[in-house]
Amino acid sequence: MRVVVVGAGAVGARAGRQLLAMERLEDLVVVDPDVERRDAVVASLGPPARAESGELGAMLEGIDVVLLAAGVPHAPFAEEALRAGASVVSTSDAVADVEALLALDDAARSAGRTVVAGAGFSPGLTCALAAFGARSFEHVDEVHVAKTGTGGPACARQHHRALQGPAREWQSGGWRQRSGGSGRELAWFPDPLRAVDCYRAALADPLLLVPAFPGVRRVTARMGASRRDRLTSAVPMLRKPHPEGGLGAVRVELLGTQGPSGTNRVLGAVDRPSVAAGAVAALAVRWAAEGRFTRTGAGGLASLAEPSPFLATLAERGVKVAVFEGGHQRSEVTSAS
Amino acid sequence: MRAFRRALLALGLAGFAAGAVRLRSGTTVPVQRGGWRELTISDLR
Repeated sequence: MRVVVVGAGAVGARAGRQLLAMERLEDLVVVDPDVERRDAVVASLGPPARAESGELGAMLEGIDVVLLAAGVPHAPFAEEALRAGASVVSTSDAVADVEALLALDDAARSAGRTVVAGAGFSPGLTCALAAFGARSFEHVDEVHVAKTGTGGPACARQHHRALQGPAREWQSGGWRQRSGGSGRELAWFPDPLRAVDCYRAALADPLLLVPAFPGVRRVTARMGASRRDRLTSAVPMLRKPHPEGGLGAVRVELLGTQGPSGTNRVLGAVDRPSVAAGAVAALAVRWAAEGRFTRTGAGGLASLAEPSPFLATLAERGVKVAVFEGGHQRSEVTSAS
Repeated sequence: MRAFRRALLALGLAGFAAGAVRLRSGTTVPVQRGGWRELTISDLR
């Protein structure tokens, strides 16, 4: 397996470490405009990781998969990688970028390659959880995603931008735009994070989930935010983002029919977002290289990956998934703070 | 000048009202019924 990792930040470095632990990795090229950071990551990873600089196109010969873990946009790099015959895994969580990646579906299918869009914590792990939870239903009516926490600085900046919205929600067969920062709901995440106020935001999860669940009536995504986050969302970030966030969590609630009655299922996970995102991205790279996805073309993990083996392998790598049991848990419009 | 001061006052009041509405929240966290169970690898397979 020969891989190029674009971006040596919190997620790219973690994904590189995960890739090194996998079998049959022959070459791992790390690219980042921040040469000091790139070299530090390569030194910490050790062989076969090596640093490269220059145009991406020049280093793609013989490469199986390009992992895009740098700042957005990723779509132009993905196009270049497809032209060179490589599959692409992107950790982008920006709505416009994910749309552009999904638009590469025809190009990826004709090339017989895969473009995995949103292969991170959220979207990414959320998509795999939704696909796993959907196995309990004959038909999925609604999917509601919530996430809290951020990874590295790029993730924190995206979190800040996302709260400005607009949020896109799928309702009764069409997209609706809602204001970012609206629609407060109390989401219960797995321990130790528990209850967090979540709001609508410009999140890419619905874009990736709707194609995976034909006939789904409603798909929403919300993001945990503090009062200060909401108040300052319209102005530039007041201070430099932290190099690494703390614990984060995702929560996916599915409603659907099972036999004659409707029911729900709630799945979640707690981890450091960049650690989990690195694990998800690295596993997606491996699956893309081994041709394990269910089809070629562009899509999210809910459309492309068989969820059980994907989540089981993630669990072996320390990304644990939990299910809510013992009560009908719905998000509530009440503040946690 | 008077119009300018009135405009400033109106903007200030509007900002205060918008801030109050945006920050408004209760303080009660409902009790969670049930709990989370970690899925084992065999659950996932």
